[in-house]
Amino acid sequence: MPTLSRRAFASGVSAIALLSVAAPLSAVMAQAQPDAAAFVGDFTRKGITDILSAPTATTEKQQRFRDMFKTYFDLPGIGRFVLTRYWAAATPEEQAKFTKLFEDVIVYTWSRRFSEYNGQSLMIQGQQADGKDGTLVKSTIVGNNSSHFGVDWRLRKRPEGFKVLDIVIEGVSMAITYRQDYSTVISQTGSFAGLLAQMEKQVADLKAQQGA
Amino acid sequence: MARAAYEENNDPLEPMNRAMFKVDAGIDKALIRPVIKGYRAVVPAQGRKGIDNFLNNIRSPITFINDILQGEITRAGQTLGRMALNTGVGFFGFFDVAEKWGIEDHNEDFGQTLAVWGVGDGPYVYVPLLGPTTARDGIGFGIDAFLTDPLAWYSRGTGAMNWVEWAYFGSAYIDTKDVTMDPLDELKKSSLDYYAALRSSYRQIRAKEIRNGAPGPMEDFDQ
Repeated sequence: MPTLSRRAFASGVSAIALLSVAAPLSAVMAQAQPDAAAFVGDFTRKGITDILSAPTATTEKQQRFRDMFKTYFDLPGIGRFVLTRYWAAATPEEQAKFTKLFEDVIVYTWSRRFSEYNGQSLMIQGQQADGKDGTLVKSTIVGNNSSHFGVDWRLRKRPEGFKVLDIVIEGVSMAITYRQDYSTVISQTGSFAGLLAQMEKQVADLKAQQGA
Repeated sequence: MARAAYEENNDPLEPMNRAMFKVDAGIDKALIRPVIKGYRAVVPAQGRKGIDNFLNNIRSPITFINDILQGEITRAGQTLGRMALNTGVGFFGFFDVAEKWGIEDHNEDFGQTLAVWGVGDGPYVYVPLLGPTTARDGIGFGIDAFLTDPLAWYSRGTGAMNWVEWAYFGSAYIDTKDVTMDPLDELKKSSLDYYAALRSSYRQIRAKEIRNGAPGPMEDFDQ
């Protein structure tokens, strides 16, 4: 698309779909790492050891990914952000159903890309404050053919520790993109139930493709 | 609720855009995809990267002029440096030597210049073949194509659109499709409403381009 640098577009779009390439931390920082950066480094390293380069079956990897995602990401917070006004208008059953489905969508969408991990590395660049009790950790994922793209992690400090609230890849926010996708589906199908139905179908298709 | 979503989307032409989106998908499947498959079969990845670099280099005068129009003198200098290095040492632009030497690539166009000058983006427009754009960026693209692009002046100098310009457009188009096809397929698979996800991604990437990569305003998560 000529009105947008094809490189910016390619890296932005491919990056948002390439979220599964969390990788070991190859830190280029001489000084001691503050909390938030260390947190990102730790769980991405865990992601590579336990999931991306682990010699286990896909279903086991999916389970590990699911556990890690629920531990390190603020799933309820992300769900509320993604649905915005629709969350408050939904019944508790619908909210619970959405949260479970959203979790499945994330797990099966990303697990499709596990096999593409190819030794990429993640370098933490730094961090900055993000709102009242948030931190933004900036990192770069470096590929084999010297391709690289920036990944920003939005963290919040919750009582139980840091939680990831959003990943922004080359300027594209995962949470914002999901939000705009889902709000369109709700207005196109006319109801929240319409969104849940489409999510269910998507999860079923993804599971079938991966033989899960 | 619905009104707020409508305004946030800024897509008053949505029905027409979706129709164009469908038309484009058809053209893509019937015409473009086979060409790209053929291109990939014939030219290895290294070669295609070289072609991408070459075309990017040819485009650099447009970036340079828009750097200047936006008052970005340092970035204009980088563009000039890249042009010189890549054309000379990089064999007419096939090798992105400048990147290896630390001068990062960036892209500017007249749509971004208009944005920097304060022009709002206007409604979202999906154009078959060209893809997602906005009213402002579409106009910017037109101005680049006819005014800022030196190739356009060359064509006019020698008479009507000649084969050089057609060859350039054709190869730039194929190169763009080659680079964006896989990420777009992936986006399609991971979204429910591909049209909406594409519109969202386009806007976010565009906003980042206009800010020249500086950190953007962060939405507050906790409500």
